[in-house]
Amino acid sequence: MHMTLVKRIVGEFGRIAVEFLKKGSNPKIYEGAARKLNVPSETIQHGVEGLMYLLTESSKLMISDVDFQDSVLVLGFSEELNKLLLQLYLENRKEIRQILGELAPSLPHYQNLEWRLDVQLASRALRQQVKPTVTMKLHLKSGGTQTARLFQTDPATLLHLLQELERALAEVKSNHCRRILRNIK
Amino acid sequence: MELSDSVVKGLQTLADPACFDFRAFTAFTEVAFDSLLSSRTDRALDLPELKKIDQALLKHCHVATTTFILEGIKQNADKSTISSCLEDVKFDSERVDAFYTSYQKNKRNLESLLSSIDRCPPHITDASWRLEYCMKNGHVHNVNQPTFLISFNTEDGGNEGTSSDVNFSCTLEQLQDLVGKMKDAAKSMERATQL
Repeated sequence: MHMTLVKRIVGEFGRIAVEFLKKGSNPKIYEGAARKLNVPSETIQHGVEGLMYLLTESSKLMISDVDFQDSVLVLGFSEELNKLLLQLYLENRKEIRQILGELAPSLPHYQNLEWRLDVQLASRALRQQVKPTVTMKLHLKSGGTQTARLFQTDPATLLHLLQELERALAEVKSNHCRRILRNIK
Repeated sequence: MELSDSVVKGLQTLADPACFDFRAFTAFTEVAFDSLLSSRTDRALDLPELKKIDQALLKHCHVATTTFILEGIKQNADKSTISSCLEDVKFDSERVDAFYTSYQKNKRNLESLLSSIDRCPPHITDASWRLEYCMKNGHVHNVNQPTFLISFNTEDGGNEGTSSDVNFSCTLEQLQDLVGKMKDAAKSMERATQL
């Protein structure tokens, strides 16, 4: 096949591979490409999936440009093609790593906190109250789903919670943490 | 204060010196208040001063008295309201005073008790945290980022204080955001209390 055509095709496959990584695969694309190139759709599928694997493994290990180029050398592509693949890798690795990160086991993570100050004036059990309360809505994201949980607390506990969490923040700046963060890279 | 017939009858019996002499009356009143505040309530009425009184009658008076006490606390009844209610059910002035003294003594604790009976979203009582440095996982290597794991302990007001937790993770920036927002809430609260 002519070199520029090959380059265009690889470029296109690369684009498809990245799309699939970001949004999920779509088998119909394979069929369309297979018809245009007059090859069975499995060939297209293997090509695209091969590229996806190359990109995810490289992104996962965060390999350097040199290491990437050495790796693709075995594929026997032209230098131009290798450059194309390297560019594809470098441009997309940050996002691919982010997507991969969501696959790892994790707890729901924090999205947002909304709060509201109320004063309870009465209840069925007791009239004539003046009870300050803080109502909070904690937005969490787990995998793809967002949840929001409602909580309440009293002023004294709010201050206690703040104190605890500020201690947590301060810990990151401690010598011990700084040393670890600096040295484990 | 609106009192049901049953409560009125019970209180009238309590007022009657033929049923309760003054010693029995004071012992009984103490028990009535204590039974509301303490968790050990079995055999509360098993006192020597009350032995001579019919058990069924005793129980009826106990229900009437505790209902009256809770109604008073609920509505924050003042001295004149309590006194006039008791006078209406034939309490003599000695018994009115004795009762009101106990009422005053226990008022604060009873108010706390009633105030804690509440339907509300889970109430946060404490927070714990853990700081981790994530190096790598099965899907991404070289992560090298500190992560916080936060746990809020909550208590569910309704069901005898069953506690549950909410656990979540956050990055440094996210924790700073969370703390910032909580600080805003605390500052607002401070300003509100100064009004």
